[in-house]
Amino acid sequence: MTRLRRFASLLGMAAIIAFFAWQLPDTFLTARNWLNISQQVSMLAVVAVTMTVVMAMGDFDLSVGAMASLSGVVAATLFVAGWPVPQALAAALALGLLGGLVNGLLVSVIGILPFVATLATLTIYSGAAFLVSGGRTIFGRDIPQAFSDFARGGVQIGVANGRPLLLPALTLVALAVAAMCWVVLEQTNYGRRLYAIGGNAQAARLAGVRVTLLRLSAFGFTGLGAAIAGLMYAARVASANPTQGDGVMLTAIAAVFLGMTLTENGQPRVLATLAGVIVLGVLDNGLTQMNVNSYLREVMIGAIILAAVTLSALSRRRR
Amino acid sequence: MSHLFTRLAAASFVLATAAQAETVAVITPYLAQPGTQFYVEAFQARAGERGWEVNVIDTAGDVAAVISRIEDMVTANVDAIVINVDPAQVGAGLQTAAEAGIPVVGMDAGNDPLVAANITSNGYAMATETAVYVANRIGGAGNVVMFTFDPFPPVQVRGVMADAVFGNYPDITVLDRITPDVSDGGIADSRARMEAILAANPEPGAISAVWAAWDQPALGALQAIEAAGRTGEGIVITGIDANPQAREAIAAGGNFEASVAQDFAGIGTAAADTVARLLAGETLVNRVIYVPTVLVTAANAAE
Repeated sequence: MTRLRRFASLLGMAAIIAFFAWQLPDTFLTARNWLNISQQVSMLAVVAVTMTVVMAMGDFDLSVGAMASLSGVVAATLFVAGWPVPQALAAALALGLLGGLVNGLLVSVIGILPFVATLATLTIYSGAAFLVSGGRTIFGRDIPQAFSDFARGGVQIGVANGRPLLLPALTLVALAVAAMCWVVLEQTNYGRRLYAIGGNAQAARLAGVRVTLLRLSAFGFTGLGAAIAGLMYAARVASANPTQGDGVMLTAIAAVFLGMTLTENGQPRVLATLAGVIVLGVLDNGLTQMNVNSYLREVMIGAIILAAVTLSALSRRRR
Repeated sequence: MSHLFTRLAAASFVLATAAQAETVAVITPYLAQPGTQFYVEAFQARAGERGWEVNVIDTAGDVAAVISRIEDMVTANVDAIVINVDPAQVGAGLQTAAEAGIPVVGMDAGNDPLVAANITSNGYAMATETAVYVANRIGGAGNVVMFTFDPFPPVQVRGVMADAVFGNYPDITVLDRITPDVSDGGIADSRARMEAILAANPEPGAISAVWAAWDQPALGALQAIEAAGRTGEGIVITGIDANPQAREAIAAGGNFEASVAQDFAGIGTAAADTVARLLAGETLVNRVIYVPTVLVTAANAAE
């Protein structure tokens, strides 16, 4: 039955791709389009794979979108203050890590439900982003050229239609973060213990797993991931405003849930999450190319997520 | 005879192009805002007359998604793209469109080398219109209080024009040129600053007019004059933008007499016409195209 469920989800994903390939024969299955998609989902991918780390423990983090916005405006504000790019980025990343660990502290040491704790820090980080930026968008000459050029660059891997094909720099960043999370979750004792906590926290504790410390540290990943994504976003739009990352939180959680329909026991796994991210990106890309109304597109994407998760839930109940 | 052939050839060419409808994508993060809806509806109407297929894409505030959707539309090989977002923020997408040779037109978007043309309102003309209104209403003589905001370039332009108009009247004196604190929206601080000026100039007629570079300071000045009980002195107030609150104040027939409204629908129509010119192969010499604005007074404030 599990196999059927995983099989059905995979089949569904393949069907989506086949459908677009059929509807958009000239443009969809081209290298350029897939490189575009990889760049378009890169920020979502970073947030979603780091979200997978806390979701492995059965927790989640609602503050990632606000943290992404905050890290962008902090870096931009430091640029304005004359900081060199590397120092400003390091400061923003450090803030992300710190913000994540604060979430971890609230959830694991103090014992507040993740929903409540990260909802509160969402509000705090979002408010801080408005405070730092004064509510304004920071753009133009205030953003160093090198920073925004990074998001437009990449490694040339070929030529198509007389134009160079680039493997985008943002895609490479997302791949690096995903590889790191995959190693941490799948190849280390640390990762296996996070899954043990997700399976049964009480049993894990009795088995000698240091649940409090592990939960605290795992939230560092989501905070840091959110900050990385926020900087990627700011580089892509060559500007920063206090709300620009907010939308990524719900989509990232949706991507992890979509991925969970692919895995054994319905556990969140990094590669499955990436598959979920790509499905969401492909839907946005394909439906846009097919001129589907943008509001209808959102309804359809929600319905597809619901269908996948429903299928998964039904098969698990029957098991 | 050869004329007939040319005409036939031209006609068949028109038919051939009509059969293959042009597709144009309109991409904005701001469709939920009323002004943007006016642009887009007018654009769609004019595009419909021309038989284009229009794909309106709203990214619900997400500017990075605008870049993604521009990339998708370039992949889909549309004939033209219209944006309503600061071009500096979507440079990556504009670059992609430029490489593919797809023209991008800005609908009140801002100027950029990668935007073939930006359709917008003329800030210079709007400011001149209200400044001249003030000068004429006070008979070319009196003390004027100016509210300006030079840190924001589109508003700075307005202040420069008003300076020029008032400077051209020997009997007009600019009593003060105030830059209000706008962090609270601009009304409250403008009111406080105006109250101070009223207190410093207590005799009736000491202040003839208040010229504001946008509506919020004008509304703040109006509140100050009302609170000081000096509405009967005939102080003329003007703003710019004609926002709903300003229109209400103007329609009430008090001291706030005039503002200038942008023609949002006109911008949408002109954007469609500009796309048509680009599709016809025309090269636009002037990359900024202005759509006339409308002076709003008590006579037309309710429209």
